[in-house]
Amino acid sequence: MTSPLTLRRRALLAAATVPLAATAAPAQAQAPITLRIFTGGQQRPDVMRRILDVYQARNPGIRAEVEVGGATSDQQQQYLNTVLASRDPTLDIALIDVIRPAQWSAARWAEPLDAYLGAQRDAVMARYLPAYREANIVGGRVIALPYFADAQFLYYRRDLLEKHNIAPPRSWDELSAAARTVLAAEGAANPNLRGFSTAGAPIEGTVCTFLVPLWGQGGSLTDAQGRLALDPAQARRALSLWADLRAQNVTPANLAEIVTDRIRVDMQAGNLLFAMQWGYAWNRFQNDPDSQVKGRIGVVPLPAFAGNAAATCIGGWQLAVSAFGRNKAAAVDLVRFLSSPEVSKMQAIMASHLPVFPEVYEDAEVLAANPWFRDARPVVIGARARPVTPRYPEVSETIRTAMNGFLAGTRTADQVLADLTQRLGPVLR
Amino acid sequence: MTRLRIGPLERAERRLGLLLLLPAFALLAGVVLYPIATLLWTSTQQMHLAQPWLEGFVGLENYRRALEDDRFWSSMGNTALYVIITVPGAVVLGLALAMLANLPFRVKWPVRLGLLLPWALPLVFAGLIFRWFFEYEQGVVNAMLHAFGAEPLRWLSTPSLAFIATSLAIIWKSSSFVALVLLAGLQAIPASLYEAADVDGASFWQKFWRITLPMLIPALVVAMIFRTITAIQTFDIPYAMTGGGPGHATETLAMYVHRTTIDVLDFGYGSALAALMFLISLSVTSVYIGHIRRDEGTGG
Repeated sequence: MTSPLTLRRRALLAAATVPLAATAAPAQAQAPITLRIFTGGQQRPDVMRRILDVYQARNPGIRAEVEVGGATSDQQQQYLNTVLASRDPTLDIALIDVIRPAQWSAARWAEPLDAYLGAQRDAVMARYLPAYREANIVGGRVIALPYFADAQFLYYRRDLLEKHNIAPPRSWDELSAAARTVLAAEGAANPNLRGFSTAGAPIEGTVCTFLVPLWGQGGSLTDAQGRLALDPAQARRALSLWADLRAQNVTPANLAEIVTDRIRVDMQAGNLLFAMQWGYAWNRFQNDPDSQVKGRIGVVPLPAFAGNAAATCIGGWQLAVSAFGRNKAAAVDLVRFLSSPEVSKMQAIMASHLPVFPEVYEDAEVLAANPWFRDARPVVIGARARPVTPRYPEVSETIRTAMNGFLAGTRTADQVLADLTQRLGPVLR
Repeated sequence: MTRLRIGPLERAERRLGLLLLLPAFALLAGVVLYPIATLLWTSTQQMHLAQPWLEGFVGLENYRRALEDDRFWSSMGNTALYVIITVPGAVVLGLALAMLANLPFRVKWPVRLGLLLPWALPLVFAGLIFRWFFEYEQGVVNAMLHAFGAEPLRWLSTPSLAFIATSLAIIWKSSSFVALVLLAGLQAIPASLYEAADVDGASFWQKFWRITLPMLIPALVVAMIFRTITAIQTFDIPYAMTGGGPGHATETLAMYVHRTTIDVLDFGYGSALAALMFLISLSVTSVYIGHIRRDEGTGG
């Protein structure tokens, strides 16, 4: 109730001070405000820079600087953990992974945006895809605003599948059969060709390597209250999918060393038939100068187990305003611009970043740059969230380390199950 | 012995001396004592940034938790294994390098550079370089195996191989420090001893066992103790090469401390783990100090 009042008061104050400032000295106009945004190297800082240039041209009083952090979500958060735990005021805005708002809210690192959005709060939030509206509201407060959406898809070599008359696989069995056929025929021409790859190193992406086949048979890690509810039979089946693909030589022998962007690099070099990968890779395959696979890549929803609906991990990046910044109001204005349909469209065209607004998927220019976005929207809407808890780092660390051990062949399925139940039980309750 | 009385002048000088020591003491207190005290205090707290509402004093609870934590013991075990493998490894390689550098070369700088370069390289760089050496598909090690007709090995995702690969990197990186310490020791050995041995017709190995090694023992002990302390703190090279994987197979105590505090934000428990690591380092340091004392006692 107080926010409209403060807004009005601020407007009155501004109206009162403007004539004063005007009469004083135009040369002493307000010094430009510098806002510092943290983003990851994989989230296309070059594209963010071009978007910020547009904002600076429209708002001469604002200068926006981009600080580029580590390549993976974990490395970025490690850095942000040290900056924010020490209440460093030098960062104004941070781009954070969709799994982080609960932690940021609990640690009180994000400035809640409700007061700034005021009476428009519900109308603003209603425009986003439901999953992103929910991901950014923690305990009834708006913690961040969505920048771009993401989900995992199945990328495939269209040219190779067409050559062998194979349709894009809809089930894991079909994928394995297709990979073996193509590898047997193409192995002589390209001995470096591998069948299928996904994240397997001890990194965040490997959490999805466990969850996707678990969800893909109707399973779940947690119940509606967020408590651990892992069905051992389903967990075993999820693990045996990866064991089988390894035994069939479909996945690379060093899957336990594979990080997210390595999958993109291998496919871009023409050495991968199928990949479980996020949306950003499309643009790199199509536009990177060193891409060997321009115009030869197709994208479809991830395969499922026969008789079940496909599942995928929801991803995406959110803009949080630091609670310790010195120009929070200006930072919120910039975040609202960056989280607008206009910027969503710019990102879709320049970086194949999936939009967070449903209508942007229908945009003709967006579809011209990314024909597969038409089919991507239902995938993003149906994508599932990793457990929402302030202690998510512990959940993630447990799953990815157990999975990494399993994929390396050092932990058995039973040991992985024991690790997950023992360690996640006390955290997810 | 009778104690001499201290005159007023000397007393004033003493006071001045203490006053002059004060800045150094303040600096040490600021950069050593204060952080250690804060660490010990934090280790008695429940302090988890993702659960700030639970904060409070818990006494020795974090230490009890550590003793019951499998992962604390497995990372301790890995750290101990790194000490057992890389300390002798670095000392043997370092000794060989030092003896090589001690030969009367006409052009000295290539040897000196070879000795100093690994030492000057940041640890993480060394880790990244070795990660590429041992990379599965593009690494030089598997390329050599391939040239000899062998199958490529999953160096970084097989526990025993990952341990060997990281240990080789650590030995390469740390042997140059050992070599520098030992080189100083070698140069202090009087040449007359070797000349006398030559007159007696001693072989290279006889000279090595009877002269070089016994004369080098003080330098060897110093090098070994420093190397042991840094081995207990092993972090950068396994962090860059394997991230502690596969599973927890190459995770050291320092990596577990980092993961607990920086990734999970459990500052209380992480501080307790760090305090335990500090305790272990301290006990090794006390062995070192004890050795120096004994040396001073016997040597003069």
